[in-house]
Amino acid sequence: MEYCTACQKAIATIVVMDLTDGAVTGSQHVCQACAEQMGIAQPKLPPKFSAELLEDLLGGLKGGRSGGTRPRVEACPGCGMTPVEFRTKGRFGCPRCYETFRTDLLPLLHRIHEAQAHRGRLPARAAPVEPAAEDPSLLDLRRRLEDAVRGERYEEAARLRDDLRRAERGEESSR
Amino acid sequence: MSKRRGGQPPEFRPGAWLAGTGPEHDIAICTRARLARNLQGYRFTPRLTEGESRELYDFVSSRLRQPGLPEQLGIVDLETVDELERSVLVERHLISRELAASKRPAGVAVDAGENVAIMIHEEDHLRVQVFASGLQTEAVWRRAERLDDALLQRLPMAWSEEFGFLTACPTNTGTGLRLSVMMHLPGLVWAEEIDKVTTTAQKIHLAVRGLYGEGSRALGDFYQVSNQITLGRDEAQIQADVFLAVTRFVQWEREVREALLRGTARTRTLDRVHRALGTLERAQILTSEEALGCLSALRFGVQTELLDGFDLPSINRALLLSQPGHLQRHSRERLEPDARDQRRAQLLRETLGCEP
Repeated sequence: MEYCTACQKAIATIVVMDLTDGAVTGSQHVCQACAEQMGIAQPKLPPKFSAELLEDLLGGLKGGRSGGTRPRVEACPGCGMTPVEFRTKGRFGCPRCYETFRTDLLPLLHRIHEAQAHRGRLPARAAPVEPAAEDPSLLDLRRRLEDAVRGERYEEAARLRDDLRRAERGEESSR
Repeated sequence: MSKRRGGQPPEFRPGAWLAGTGPEHDIAICTRARLARNLQGYRFTPRLTEGESRELYDFVSSRLRQPGLPEQLGIVDLETVDELERSVLVERHLISRELAASKRPAGVAVDAGENVAIMIHEEDHLRVQVFASGLQTEAVWRRAERLDDALLQRLPMAWSEEFGFLTACPTNTGTGLRLSVMMHLPGLVWAEEIDKVTTTAQKIHLAVRGLYGEGSRALGDFYQVSNQITLGRDEAQIQADVFLAVTRFVQWEREVREALLRGTARTRTLDRVHRALGTLERAQILTSEEALGCLSALRFGVQTELLDGFDLPSINRALLLSQPGHLQRHSRERLEPDARDQRRAQLLRETLGCEP
């Protein structure tokens, strides 16, 4: 991954090449914002952030990867999404993709949000509104499922997930 | 908990986004808080099989029907709603165009006042939306937070300590909160300063989008201003940032409007407003784009007291009725685009009471 040679801050997504008699005599890597300022790229107005820019960003990551310095990422065990598919679509397939594609994800999040970690509400910190009207066995199953996922015991997690679904269906049909 | 009869959307009411109440409502028409949430143990919506989609939809809707939620919601099952009624829901901003086009089991849980709408099976399993007329960022966030608390009690959501709420698109990761304000900015458009607004917004990480959100055009000088960043800032900060920026844009629009009413600019402004009125009074064919443009000018003319004899509720009603879904439903028949444009011209004259 190249940083913009103009502002030294953003990731470069555009390569400007100097041509003399058809031969490349020099090149400069710049980011979209600087390219716009230099008048060599069209500003994107109205902004279409998520889809287009993501593709640019992910394309940039793909370029940075060609050096082969990063470990090879396999398909996500949760949903089968491949790294190529993730880069093309710019979408995750399941919550586990966040771990699977973590290496690609951190710089991407930084570029989008200027941050890599959450601040704010989480379920554990949310104020309780009412006592949970949940069957204790379901709660237990859910806790074991979370433990299994955190412990990366995926076969056990899959089994627990199926148990949980069955239990939830049973609960609904008995209503 | 009531279920709407036959899953039909509600009869005509202005809905929160055109209610015409609340602080700064002449310019900041409506505020929306949207939370993206997904259930643990499932892939995100686009990767679910048909069977899993059904299972998740049934599970979520059964949990939304359980008593004890802070909102009284009726679930509209989109499988029982035809294409026309789906576009009515889009035009009322209760569902997205993407959800309207969905072939999966999908639905929306709406309250009677159309202030709350939870989309089921959008890109994320749940998209919780709370609306309020005018500029009310804090109020919509508080109401969304209270609803989210109750939803977290009854649905196992996907989250992590590090990344917060896990969403299908990394642009929503973290809080999952998109706080947006629908603004009517004819002054800034006419004074050709709207690009400056967009550029300023981008610099402070706000997005400016059109009438129907991402990828849509700014029809009728309506713009949605929303936070771009959802990760690394908490909800209170996001709320404060959007509120501050929108307050400044409102001020900017007011200053430009004043300038448009002074000196030589005044004649041009008057001309523009009266041309729009003339079109609405006399045109026999009106596309929805042209109608929105004329209604925008009329709204501007009434608010700046260049015109009298029109009330804002009628103009707001005309804005909604000029949309293809509402127009056809009001006419109680399906119309081809040409017939629609003719009917629109007639219906707007009736609605505005300017039949010559």
